[in-house]
Amino acid sequence: MKGGSWVFAIALLGLAASWYGSVLYPQVQLGRQTETRTVPDGQLYPVARPGLAVQGREVYRSEGCYTCHSQQVRQEGVAVGLAITDAGTNLTELVEAILAVAPRWERARVAHGVTNLPFQVLDGVSPAEAGAAQKQLEAAGATAVITVRPLGPDMERGWGLRRSVAVDYLWDRPVMLGSVRVGPDLAGVGSRIPDEQWLLVHLWDPQIHSPGSMMPPYRYLFEVRPQGEGEAADALALPEGAGPGPGWVVVPRPEARALVAYLQSLQVTASLFEVPVVLPPGGGTAAGETQGQEAAQPSQP
Amino acid sequence: MNGEGTSNRLPENEQSLPRAGDVTVPMWLVVLLAVLAYWGMLYFDWHSGWFDPRVYRPFGSVAVVNELQPVSGADAVLKRGQVVYETTCALCHGVDGQGKPGQAPPLAGSEYVLGPAGRLIRIPLHGLTGPIQVKGQTWNLAMPAMGAALSAEDLAAALTYIRQAWGNQAEPITAAQVEAVKAETAGRTQPWTAQELEAVQ
Repeated sequence: MKGGSWVFAIALLGLAASWYGSVLYPQVQLGRQTETRTVPDGQLYPVARPGLAVQGREVYRSEGCYTCHSQQVRQEGVAVGLAITDAGTNLTELVEAILAVAPRWERARVAHGVTNLPFQVLDGVSPAEAGAAQKQLEAAGATAVITVRPLGPDMERGWGLRRSVAVDYLWDRPVMLGSVRVGPDLAGVGSRIPDEQWLLVHLWDPQIHSPGSMMPPYRYLFEVRPQGEGEAADALALPEGAGPGPGWVVVPRPEARALVAYLQSLQVTASLFEVPVVLPPGGGTAAGETQGQEAAQPSQP
Repeated sequence: MNGEGTSNRLPENEQSLPRAGDVTVPMWLVVLLAVLAYWGMLYFDWHSGWFDPRVYRPFGSVAVVNELQPVSGADAVLKRGQVVYETTCALCHGVDGQGKPGQAPPLAGSEYVLGPAGRLIRIPLHGLTGPIQVKGQTWNLAMPAMGAALSAEDLAAALTYIRQAWGNQAEPITAAQVEAVKAETAGRTQPWTAQELEAVQ
C-alpha cells in the first residue's frame, strides 16, 4: 500500500492521543486519591461504609438501581455571604454597622434579624467583600461567619449540600454513577431520607410515599407472613389498603435491610477542600436565607 | 491502467471541466492552524483549572478554591482541641474539667492550667508524679505521658481548649510552643514532679 507507513503512524498517533487523554491522564490526575480531611473540622473522609451497607451496595447493583438513579450531584455556582452567629451586646451599634455594609436592608428587618440568629446579612458577594464586612461587624461586637453556599438545581431540589467529587466514591467499586435520572439522584439520599421505615415502605410500594412514581415495587425483597407466625417485630407499618390484607404482615428480607443500610450511608454533606461548604451553625434558618435574597443582592458571583 | 485511454473515453464537453491539480498548502495557513490549535489547548487547560485534581466545576482554578476555604480561626482550634481532650484526657479529668476525686485533679480553675505555657505543656508530654497542690487541695497521683503520642497540633489544640473552656481564660498555646518544649526536653523519660514544674517559667 502506498503511504502505508504514514497511515499507520497517523492512526497510532490518534489512538495514542486518545489513550493518553482518556486513560493515562485521568489516572495520573485522580488515580492516587486517598482519604482526605474535611475543612475546617479536620475529620477523616470518607469513612468506609458499614458492613451491611457494603452488602446493600451489591443489592443495589444486582437490582439495577443505577439504571434509573444517578449518584452524582452537580453544582452550578457558589454564593459567598456573611452570617451573624452572635450579636454581641451592643445591638444599636450592630444595626448601624449592618446598615453600613448592606445599605439595601430596611432598618426594621435588620432589627428583627439581630434578635433571630443566625442572620444572613450578605449573600452572593465576593470573598473579599465578605471579609471586609466581617471585620466591620466584628468591630461592632458581633461574631460573623463567612458562608459558602453551593448553588444549582440539584441543591434546590435538596439532592445534596454540594456537588459530588471523586473522593466521595473512594470506597465504591464499581462506582455506580448512573447515567439517567428517571428517578431522583441518590448521592445524598442518606441525609435527605434518614428514616429506615420510609425507605422500606418505598421499596415495598413506591406509590405509598410518591404517588405517580415510575419506580417498580420490589416486593420480592420482602416476605409476606401470616400474622403471629415467627418473629415479626420489624414488620412494615403499611397504610390502610396498601398491605396484603388483614392477618398478614410484611417483613423485610435481609436484602431489603442491606439495601436500605446502603441508601442510608449515601451522603454528600462533608465540606472538603475541593468543595467548601460553610453554613451558619443552626442550619441557616430559611427565614434568614430568603431575607438575604430579598435584599436584592446579586445571587450569582 | 492507461491514463490516456481513460481521458479519451470522456465525452467532449467534459474535457473542459476543472480538475484537481497539485497546489502547495501555503505555509502561513499551516502556521496559523498550529497556533490556533496551541491556543485552543491553552484555553482548554486554563478553563479546566489546569487539570488540577482539586479543581472541579464550577471553580476555575486552585486560587478560586483557596479563596473560598473556610477560615480555620480560633473556633476551629477549640473544636479540634475539644475532640482531642474528650478522647484522650476526659476519662480522668472529666468532660466538664472538674477532675475525679482519687483519680485526677480538676482542670477548671487549676493554677497549672492557667499558669505559664511551658509548665502546662510539660505535664502531658512526660507525665507527672508525686504530691501536687491544685486549688488548695493536695493530690498524690501518677499521670502517664498521655500527650507524648499526640501531634504537636493536636496537643496544642487540647491545651488551648482546657485553657479556655469551663470559665478558664488564658492565652492559647500554639503548636510551635509545643515543638519548642519538645526540643528543650528531648531525651527525658521521667515524669515531672511539682517542684520541677514550679521552676519552669
